[in-house]
Amino acid sequence: MHTNGANSELFDNLRLELRRGCLVVAVLAQLRTELYGYALRKSLTDQGLAIDENTLYPLLRRLESQGLLVSQWREEEKRNKRFYRLSPVGETVLASLLDEWREMNSALERILAAPFDPTA
Amino acid sequence: MPTNPTELINRYLNAVKFWLPNAQHQDILAELAEDLHSQIEEREQALGHPVGEDDVVAILKRRGSPMRVASGYLPSQRLIDPALLPVYRLVLKVTILWVLIPLFLIIFVGPMFTSAHEGRVLLTFLDTAVRSAFMVVGIVTTVFALADRYHKFQDANDWDPRKLPRRAVPNPATARWSSFANFSGILGGAIFWAIVMWHRSEFVFEGGRRVILQPIWSQVYWIVLVLTLGDALIELVAFLDRGHKQLRARIRLGWDVASILCAGLLLRVGSWVELAGLDLTAAHIAKLMVWVNLSIQFTLIGVCAIKLIDALLQIRHLYRNKPDGQAPVLFTA
Repeated sequence: MHTNGANSELFDNLRLELRRGCLVVAVLAQLRTELYGYALRKSLTDQGLAIDENTLYPLLRRLESQGLLVSQWREEEKRNKRFYRLSPVGETVLASLLDEWREMNSALERILAAPFDPTA
Repeated sequence: MPTNPTELINRYLNAVKFWLPNAQHQDILAELAEDLHSQIEEREQALGHPVGEDDVVAILKRRGSPMRVASGYLPSQRLIDPALLPVYRLVLKVTILWVLIPLFLIIFVGPMFTSAHEGRVLLTFLDTAVRSAFMVVGIVTTVFALADRYHKFQDANDWDPRKLPRRAVPNPATARWSSFANFSGILGGAIFWAIVMWHRSEFVFEGGRRVILQPIWSQVYWIVLVLTLGDALIELVAFLDRGHKQLRARIRLGWDVASILCAGLLLRVGSWVELAGLDLTAAHIAKLMVWVNLSIQFTLIGVCAIKLIDALLQIRHLYRNKPDGQAPVLFTA
């Protein structure tokens, strides 16, 4: 019971680490189209990548302060909303990150495809 | 009385605002408010009617406490660079193990064996111990925090494997002969004690000057002799047979404890000698006696400290060299 709990906590921590980098790529990729925070979160969730609001909004501010996103306040449906989109710098960085992601993914696929010999 | 949902949201935003930096709070709160209103709107669409107090409470609870929400926007702060933590821990460990604990034992165990009242000793000790511990930990932490803040530590990448300290390789022959030297010294001390203190109640010097020993010395004569001979025997065994390290460590630990108890027994007396036959005034003799007794007291405390350090070393040895092989073996000789 205790071991299961510890394993579950360990898995959660590892999952969090794994997701952290992926979320940045996903947010940047999704913001190739302009969206406001709530719509962005819905869109990511609908595509199977749920993200907590308390993670998303600080992340958006950080990416904007790093020059990867640009934002502007605009009125829509009688409410002021902050719309984000990828900046020119963000586009370049996203392209590099996607190259990196593809390389890592194919390396991982090769590792997993290699025959496994537990006695080696 | 039910609370207006708008009022609940305003309260929540106000609470978040408290934790946010002034320069950013307006922007962050506007976005947060917009997000909450979007969520409420979605909920209303799902329900088919305006949300009530409970719905808004559920949405806010799910969002998290105001402090947690605000913390996400704050810059990540640290007191000490994680790369420096091993050094910080090492310094704290050395300070606590080799400075604070021995110091505490001297200021606590020492007076406990004197005639001072135990309660007063305990209170003084607790007062000193707590203040010293906080001060030492505080100073070490502050020094590291300041050094980290002003980047006074060496760049972590500026190192050379060739400049790393050489690994000390224990030389069995040196250790063996060191045991023999210890055996000779301790045996000499035991013989000196056996001869000089045998049925001794006083030392008589030239001109009739006398140092009168208190009865405690004859009472502990055999105990001291046995302990000293035991010490010598342990060293002799270590010289003849370098094996059985765990057993030797246990015996030494027991012997150290016995020695500390014996020294403690002596310390409790408070006055060990009297002076007579001196051509001095009574006031001067009293003053001299205080100094002589004080020097004996310091010697006994010193013996306790040495034995205590040795006992700690034996405990460390026992802990690090578990027979079941659980302790990590980092290097092989």
